[in-house]
Amino acid sequence: MIFNSLTFLVFFAIVMALHYAPFFSWHQKKINLMIASYLFYAAWNPPFVILLWVSTVVDWWAAQWMVRAKQERTRKLWMLTSVCVNLGMLGYFKYGGFLMDNFVSVAAAVGIVYHPPGWDIILPVGISFYTFATLSYTLDVYLRRSAPAGSFLNYALFVTFFPHLVAGPIMRPTELVPQFDEPRQAKANQIGFGLALLTLGLFQKVVLADGFLAPVVEAVYDAHGKAPGMLDSWVATFAFAGQIFCDFAGYSTSAIGVALCLGFAMPDNFRFPYGAVGFSDFWRRWHITLSSWLRDYLYIPLGGNRHGQARCYAALMGTMLLGGLWHGANWTFVVWGGLHGLYLSVERWLREHFKGFTPGRASILGLALLTFLLVNITWVFFRAKTFTGAGVILTGMAGMQAKPAPLIAAGPMIIAMVIVTAILGTHLAMRKTTLEAVVERTPSPAIAGIWTLLLFSVIIEQGQGSAFIYFAF
Amino acid sequence: MHSSTSPSERGLTGTREGALPPGLRKTAADRPGQAQPVPTRDIPTRPWVKMGLFVLCAVTVLTFAWEWNARTNVGLRAGDIGDSPQAWAESRRVADLAAVAIIGDSRILFDTDQARFQALTGIRPVQVGHVGTNARPLLEHFANDSNFHGLLIVGIADTMYFGMPVIGLGGDAVHNYAKYDKPSQLTGLWLDRWLQRYFAFMDSDYRLSRQAIRFDDGWRKGVDSPYEDVWKISETFPGRQYFMWDRIESDAYLRDHARHAWDAFKGPNIPPPLADKVIARTAEAVRRIRARGGDVIFVRPPSAPQLRVNEQKRIPRALGWDRLMVGARVKGVHADDLPQAQNLLIPEWSHLSRKCAAVFTDAYVRRLAELTPRLKLRVDAPPPLSRADCVPQDVASVKGRRAQL
Repeated sequence: MIFNSLTFLVFFAIVMALHYAPFFSWHQKKINLMIASYLFYAAWNPPFVILLWVSTVVDWWAAQWMVRAKQERTRKLWMLTSVCVNLGMLGYFKYGGFLMDNFVSVAAAVGIVYHPPGWDIILPVGISFYTFATLSYTLDVYLRRSAPAGSFLNYALFVTFFPHLVAGPIMRPTELVPQFDEPRQAKANQIGFGLALLTLGLFQKVVLADGFLAPVVEAVYDAHGKAPGMLDSWVATFAFAGQIFCDFAGYSTSAIGVALCLGFAMPDNFRFPYGAVGFSDFWRRWHITLSSWLRDYLYIPLGGNRHGQARCYAALMGTMLLGGLWHGANWTFVVWGGLHGLYLSVERWLREHFKGFTPGRASILGLALLTFLLVNITWVFFRAKTFTGAGVILTGMAGMQAKPAPLIAAGPMIIAMVIVTAILGTHLAMRKTTLEAVVERTPSPAIAGIWTLLLFSVIIEQGQGSAFIYFAF
Repeated sequence: MHSSTSPSERGLTGTREGALPPGLRKTAADRPGQAQPVPTRDIPTRPWVKMGLFVLCAVTVLTFAWEWNARTNVGLRAGDIGDSPQAWAESRRVADLAAVAIIGDSRILFDTDQARFQALTGIRPVQVGHVGTNARPLLEHFANDSNFHGLLIVGIADTMYFGMPVIGLGGDAVHNYAKYDKPSQLTGLWLDRWLQRYFAFMDSDYRLSRQAIRFDDGWRKGVDSPYEDVWKISETFPGRQYFMWDRIESDAYLRDHARHAWDAFKGPNIPPPLADKVIARTAEAVRRIRARGGDVIFVRPPSAPQLRVNEQKRIPRALGWDRLMVGARVKGVHADDLPQAQNLLIPEWSHLSRKCAAVFTDAYVRRLAELTPRLKLRVDAPPPLSRADCVPQDVASVKGRRAQL
């Protein structure tokens, strides 16, 4: 089930009615939420609920036995059990075909011809998200950062809680489990603001990402056999930058709004990322819950910045390469992650060697635009399905296509560029503030007017119920 | 257990009335290597309930105004439920057990009146055709499905069937059939249909993003503008029953645009080896369906002379249709061979008007009943229809005079 669907609206109305029904105890309401969450997931593909169950039960018991273990070795064994089961499922469903393809290629390179049976495995939606969420539970317990959850129900609800289940924000147990201890009832103002956030998220997804930006991106990136020129390549890539942001941030904003209506707080996942100055700043603003997860459970354990420069750069590159692979079983995603690792390494080196440099306002703007530009180059590898496809776009961006073909009509191009410019301008203007602070300063009639326009646009755009891009990750 | 919150953060977890001052809105990015606390969600101090009620009222008013505009100015109607990959998936699943299923491109979709089909034979065919889609991959989709044992009617447009090596617009629906048949997709489909029974504006051809770009009628040279796209030409009813949108008949601008979008079906001639390959693949698919007790029969709906001249040029009937019948060992009904189907009304040159769809269906179903024992005319079948049942007299007389000239 996806937020931008009629099914979800009905589902959400029922969940809200049950959540605020006076005749249910808090315990019963949590059970209701868990059943609803399983339905939310099963509506996509019922058998995969079993995976959720396996992940939930294994991690629950791993943490329990970890706490009871008297020897460090036993604790480690339970932690490794949890990691192996979770990453094993992720590996099988998400990377099985990829690994097999690469094995076949390597075998062919050394002269061994191998024709494996087709790897016809469906990717369970959101498996990367809930795998990371549940892994953080056992890892936090192992690292003694937190105690195990007090009840199985609270823990199972943490894993399955539908607002964050399939596309994040990737929540840590310490962020959500304590919220299940006490009854949560949102006040009327919280529900109002939650619905406003849900509207904003749907507007970003349905109207901007799917309605106006996706067709421009597809006109170039899916124009097989046609070579785009400089203008088309850049416009399509800028449009994709807008599309991926509106798609994913739209989901996160909707999720936060939905949770708020139920009385729960979820963390920010985006903080105006295209207003970032530099790449470490970008990753503090883009998909925050993933980047911080990778930092806490990969980069720091790999050594982080505590073991010298060389180890630090290696940890940085390793983290970003794996972060790229997390997004999809394709080498193009690895290159995307590698480019970001490279950017971060170069930035780190520059910071080391130009410690006294204090940029002025113009420099900050220039660096922000440079960051945006370089991020866009990485998006080429994220969006193109093959290196050949990425090469075609990059050649176009460099203006080196021998016979470029115009691919984007003027009208859609103008609209897309207006939207992307508006997104970029908003991010630059709001890089040091929050949406809430701006809303609080804005007169109520203006907010009500904007809210009306957003909701009306969503209704008359009549979204086609297309899945969020990050569902595939 | 380590404390994961700084002193300034304590007391700020969960939800908070009023926006946090800048700098206090922490995220996991600000707390490396520690357990993350319950996040803070600050609620801007605004009258959210009053604003929400205002939004509800304003959006209701705007939506009804939009609905009024859709009905009165655009000519949309409630009950036109549209089509979607989910609807195709639903029909495809039903077709597994159907006595008669229809596949093909938009012509067989528009030109088959399912009610007339049922009135004649007692069987309501399951419509599994798809606009802009080559019928051959659809045929192979059925050939690969061991569940289907019925009669498959394959409607073809020659240039698409013989000359298009890919599936076309139906690719998403066909390739992702399993995905679109999932519970959440089906519930979404049912809710969408229910709403479309009451709201006319819910038409994918008149979405905000579609309308917003139609002002561009070719500003940039060398690229197809949104004006070149096929706009709305159909209405869709339960059972994926397509009919020509009556505004195409009554509105000269929309009709001319639709004709323009077809570009007279111009294109390169279809090389005989490609047609041979298509015939061979058709023969194989037909063989597999027949091997398990099913059967396949072809129908070639009519097209207007303005298109037919180019269709015939690109793949003459003798090289296409006639060789297909022989090569694939199939029977079929060509519109040219149906006296009742001559000079019917084809407003935008490619699809029959709604009334003429019933006439063509009447004609081809009667012929099919002669060709296959799987279809029998009912004893109480209605009398045959003729051109006079769908072509207005003035149009008929003009066409008659032209024919005489």
